[in-house]
Order: sequence, then C-alpha cells, then structure tokens
Amino acid sequence: MDCKTASDLLPLYFDGELDRATSREFEAHLDACAECRNALVELDTVRQALRNDAARHRAPEALRSRIENAVTAPLATRSPRPRSTWMALAASWVLAFVAGGISLAAWNHGSGSGGEETQLTRDLFASHWRSLVAASPIDVVSTDQHTVKPWFAGKIAVSPTVRDYAEQGYALIGGRIDYVGTERVPVLVYRHGKHLIDVFVLPPAAPSTSAIPVRQQGYVLEGASVGGQAAAIVSDMDEAELTRFQALLNASGGGD
Amino acid sequence: MMSTRSRTVVDELALRHLDAAYNLGRWLLGSEQDAADAVHDAYLRAARACDTYAGGNARAWWLAIVRNCCLARLAVRNKDTRNVAIDDDPAAAERWLPHTGAEEIEENLDSSKRTQQIDAQLQKLPVVYREVIVLRELEELSYREIADVLETPIGTVMSRLARGRALLHKALTGDGTTEATHGL
Repeated sequence: MDCKTASDLLPLYFDGELDRATSREFEAHLDACAECRNALVELDTVRQALRNDAARHRAPEALRSRIENAVTAPLATRSPRPRSTWMALAASWVLAFVAGGISLAAWNHGSGSGGEETQLTRDLFASHWRSLVAASPIDVVSTDQHTVKPWFAGKIAVSPTVRDYAEQGYALIGGRIDYVGTERVPVLVYRHGKHLIDVFVLPPAAPSTSAIPVRQQGYVLEGASVGGQAAAIVSDMDEAELTRFQALLNASGGGD
Repeated sequence: MMSTRSRTVVDELALRHLDAAYNLGRWLLGSEQDAADAVHDAYLRAARACDTYAGGNARAWWLAIVRNCCLARLAVRNKDTRNVAIDDDPAAAERWLPHTGAEEIEENLDSSKRTQQIDAQLQKLPVVYREVIVLRELEELSYREIADVLETPIGTVMSRLARGRALLHKALTGDGTTEATHGL
C-alpha cells in the first residue's frame, strides 16, 4: 500500500470503518511509515481532547419530565392524524398474515403508482447485483442465525426473523443492510449450490410491486413472507429451487 | 393496536436517546433553553411522524428530526442577529480561525481550564463541522448513521469530518497555550 492510498484510508481506519483485510494492509503500511503514524496520532489528539474534556451535555431533568408527561398524555390530544394511516397499514399486515405466504396482498395495497413499483423492483435488483460485484456481499459473515439476528438488532429498528435452512440445502451465510428507496432494510444472504440468494425484509410501508415474479437478465424477484413480514427474494436460481426456498421462508411463521 | 405500538416505540426511542438529542441541540444552539425547546419540538414532531420511521435506523431517524428542529431555530436566530451563517466554504473558516478569545478564557478560569478551552473551540467551529464532530466523537455514530442524520452522502460526512478535525487540531495546538500531550 502506498502512502497516498494509506492517507486516504487513514480516517476510515481511525473511525473503525475499514474491513478487516484492508485494516491489516493499512497496519502493515503504518509499521513502515512514520508520517502516517504521526497523522494518526494527530487525529487521536483531537479525539482524546474532545472525549476527555469537551462537555457531553446531559438532558436536564425538566426536559425529561416534560417528555415523560407528554408520553402519558392520551394519544388523541397529541396526534390525531396518523391513526387512519396506521389502521390501513395494520389491515395490510393482517392480509399478509392471512395470505400466509406470498404477501402479494400486502404488496398490492395502494398499488397503481406505477413509478414507485418499478423503482422498488429496480432497487432490489440493483442491490443484489451490487452485492455480487462487491468484494463481499455481506457485512456480517455467519452461518449462525443467533449471530445474524442480534447484529441486525443493533442497526435497524425491527430485526427480522432469521432462520438457517442449511439442512434443506439453503445455507444462511450472513446479512447486510441496504437501502430500498430511502429505507434501510435488512438483507439475509443465503447460498444454494453456486447461487447467492438475497432476501430483503421489507418495511411495512414499502411500495407495492404488483407483478411478481419479475425477471431481469436471468435473475428473478419473487415475494415471500419472513416471520410475517413481507419480503423479496432475488436470485438466479431456477424456478423449482426458488419455489422450494420460498415455501421454506413462508413456513417460518410469525415471531421466532 | 398498531398506532399505540408505534407511538410507544417513538416514546421509548426519544427517552432512550434524550441525552444524545439534548447534547446535539446544546452544541448546535449553544443555549440550554433553546436546546431543551428544540428537543421538545422534535419529540412532538416525531410522535406525529411515527409512520415515516418503519425500518430505518431508529437513533439516526430521531437525531435527524432533532437536528432539523435545531437548524430551524438557528435560521430564525441568524436572521435576527446577523450571526456568522452556516458556512461551507473552508477558506472562510480558515479566515475565521485566528484565535480570538483564548486569553480571556485562560484568565477567567482557574478550574477545568482545558475543558473550557475545548468547549470554546468546538463552539466556534462552523456548524457544518461542529455537528459531524459532535456526532462522531461525542456520540460515536458511524459514518452511515451520521449520513442518515444529515441526509447527505457518506462522502460529504467524511470530508466535513476531516475538515473539522483539522480546524480543531489547529485551534487546540496552534495558539500555544496548550501542548498536545496525548499520544496513541
């Protein structure tokens, strides 16, 4: 690694944003380069000064009790508006449960906004393809569902149900977080033979895609339900394999 | 059912990250009363907008609302007082940098002189740099989270962070009143 590259990576290393392999390469350079070591010390000087000496203001008790009081106040006095929206959402969720699987129903609610549909489809395919060309398609590498789920819990509001289907031939290999539109969604990554499978667990408010499955350049987008949440599978598996995997996901039921 | 649940989520979120919200507000606005009011505004706004929250990073979503409430207050205040506005131009920041006020601070304070000095330097940073420094160094958010709070690309976060750190380092070591004694 040359000094130019290293100095670009320096803040990322310092902030813990480099992957492990690149960190090691960077450290090898660091051993040999006094200039980069000094730059790192400089960053740390500022950090130590801030963390040791700058005030981290704590919320005054008055503010805390102001908000706690608002919390105990009845909802109607505070936010009359969202109720109907949430009822609609809740209804679409119930539909998803009733459909028990391919949550076409949930996806369809409020469809007709053609632009959004194709945007969602495009986002999902793009995310899958991007992950295929990236150095690693996953942020947390683990075949253990008990590692993957807590990893999500620290990063997004609703942690999805994570199941491993290695025995059925679909091994969990990890997870990542990606954007669908402006939403951050959890992505579960499975492997089946040589096929990489992304399962996007969609937020309840995700726009609908009416016509699934969607095929693009040999890849298929299919709907499913993961622990009661609407989800999208993107992969290049053939239809039979995909259907089998979809059935496994749908059988995962609510909660976990 | 759903509305009660999502509301509880917002309440819990606001209370859990109340210190982070207040700290951000305090650093952006520089006043206890304004910071408390801005956080309270943010809470009301969050409770109303809880349906936009599904699936996002909860803390970043909440802090983004807090930040917007703070910036709204700053904008009003700047209109009144002709303050140094939010300034993205590094050259302007450079010109502003020369260490005024360092002496008074030193004389006035016998206790926790260093704390006062760092607070003063951080408070003097232009808002665009100050906020990323507070979020990264004090609240320890990741680049991705900061990008979510600021609603900007990660690249912007990185360049502002680098710039803010450089300015602070210069301010803290350049005026000669303190030696940087920290090492790795």
